[in-house]
Amino acid sequence: MSAFFAMGGYAIYVWPAYAVFFIVLIADYINPSLRRRRNLRELRSRMARQAARQQRNPSAP
Amino acid sequence: MANWIPLWVHKLSSPPNFYRFAGVVRPWALGLALILGAIALYGGLVLAPADYQQGDAYRIIFIHVPSAWMGLFIYGLMAVASFISLVWRIKLAEVVAMESAPIGAAFTFITLVTGSLWGKPMWGTWWTWDARLTSELVLLFLYLGVIGLYHSFEDRRQGARAAAFLAIIGIINVPIVHFSVNWWNTLHQGSTVRILGPSHISTDMLWPLLTMMVATKFYYIASLFGRVRTDLLSMESGKDWVRQIAGAHGSADAVSAGRAEAAEREARR
Amino acid sequence: MSHAPLASACAAVLRRDLTLAWRRRGDIVMPVLYALIVITLFPFALGPEDALLQRIAGGIVLVTMLLAMLLALDAMFRSDIEDGSLEQLMLSPQPLAMMLSMKILAHWITTALPLIVIAPLLAGMLHLPTAVMPVLVYALLLSTPLLSLLGAVLVALTAGTRRSGMLLALMLLPLCVPVVIFAAGAVAAAQQGLPWLAPIAWLGAALVMALVLAPLACATALRIALDA
Repeated sequence: MSAFFAMGGYAIYVWPAYAVFFIVLIADYINPSLRRRRNLRELRSRMARQAARQQRNPSAP
Repeated sequence: MANWIPLWVHKLSSPPNFYRFAGVVRPWALGLALILGAIALYGGLVLAPADYQQGDAYRIIFIHVPSAWMGLFIYGLMAVASFISLVWRIKLAEVVAMESAPIGAAFTFITLVTGSLWGKPMWGTWWTWDARLTSELVLLFLYLGVIGLYHSFEDRRQGARAAAFLAIIGIINVPIVHFSVNWWNTLHQGSTVRILGPSHISTDMLWPLLTMMVATKFYYIASLFGRVRTDLLSMESGKDWVRQIAGAHGSADAVSAGRAEAAEREARR
Repeated sequence: MSHAPLASACAAVLRRDLTLAWRRRGDIVMPVLYALIVITLFPFALGPEDALLQRIAGGIVLVTMLLAMLLALDAMFRSDIEDGSLEQLMLSPQPLAMMLSMKILAHWITTALPLIVIAPLLAGMLHLPTAVMPVLVYALLLSTPLLSLLGAVLVALTAGTRRSGMLLALMLLPLCVPVVIFAAGAVAAAQQGLPWLAPIAWLGAALVMALVLAPLACATALRIALDA
């Protein structure tokens, strides 16, 4: 097992390469879902504000 | 729109339909990418024997080459989507083109970093002005230009159209850059080190590589669809279908928080 | 209603742009001054050793020219967009691509031509051999219009945005890599006593292609960037 992690002496090159691969891809994958959640939250509060305004004076558009 | 395009393409390219379709496909694509990626990594890191020349350092190939291939593949796909968006003005094609760019840039970046991590033990240097490395760097700049142009416009659709045009100019430029960089390397007698021997790679190493290539394709689909869904929601935020989604997803406390905020603002007035 | 013939319309655009540039003579001097400053700084950074400077002179002069042109590129259509004359041009009955190529020509005359004139002086300051000078001038004569044409397309694309300076450089870099490679390659080949005609011929071919395609692309780009 430790031989596997040692990578024949090249561990300091092989593992960082794999780490970069996974970190970049995970960041790429997570980014849009965070953005999506934020957008939806903003949209919901906008909708709630509109609803509140409508409740206060129903004649306004 | 031309008549020969089948009806289901029309239906699929409408934002709410594509949003739903992408939502269904995305988990499957991600699952396949993870499973295939795990198999490829097991095959590449555990089963494949060490290279007789490079020892275990060559194992970077299982992420380096698929990433390099994805960098080019995504650029090509982005250019095709750009062309479609400019000719037929399909909103979905614009979104696909613009959301492909960050994924392609990510893969190109991975290619450069892993290539340099591979080059250090093999060539003794992090960076060399080799033809392929240089072309890859130029590709990254092409991606960054497209992303930068897209975000510099206030109107997003206009930005998408301008950036789509740049992407098409870029795809014409890619072979020219490759040719000129090759010529430049022969002129200056650069280091023409070949990492890979001319394609006599053994099957033990080949199948994990090919599996990884397929896995990255599925990953691309999953990531792209997630990005497209996000973008469609924010671009169409005034439309009914988005409001319904926002309402359905919204937990009660989020709505009440918004209401409280609004009430507070009203009270302050 | 009769339109002005194409030739006289082209001449009018060219004359207008040159007149405007002449009224602002100070701006023409700027890129030249910039190139002079950059070239003066190199020996201070690298040391006054003749052999070293001689070896890198061609490349440094070419890159300096490129950067100096980039400095002026930003302004190619700016004043025309601000005063609305570009929109007039887009509405005019003459083909937009022809009008734009005249504007690009005027821009080349006012920014690149002065740079080419002082290029031998700058190269001389870095001890480039006199025999190589003509090759440097040929390379510049072919590569600077190429850069103007490519740059014009990108400037047109950024026409609708507010800040574009750094973005323009980022977008131009991939496009100018082949130009720099062949131009500097010709100078380097001449310096080593190798045949330099091939890279010059490639530059010429690229220039012919750009002369035909770039104004069309520039017109398309402007239409994309300016219509809301």
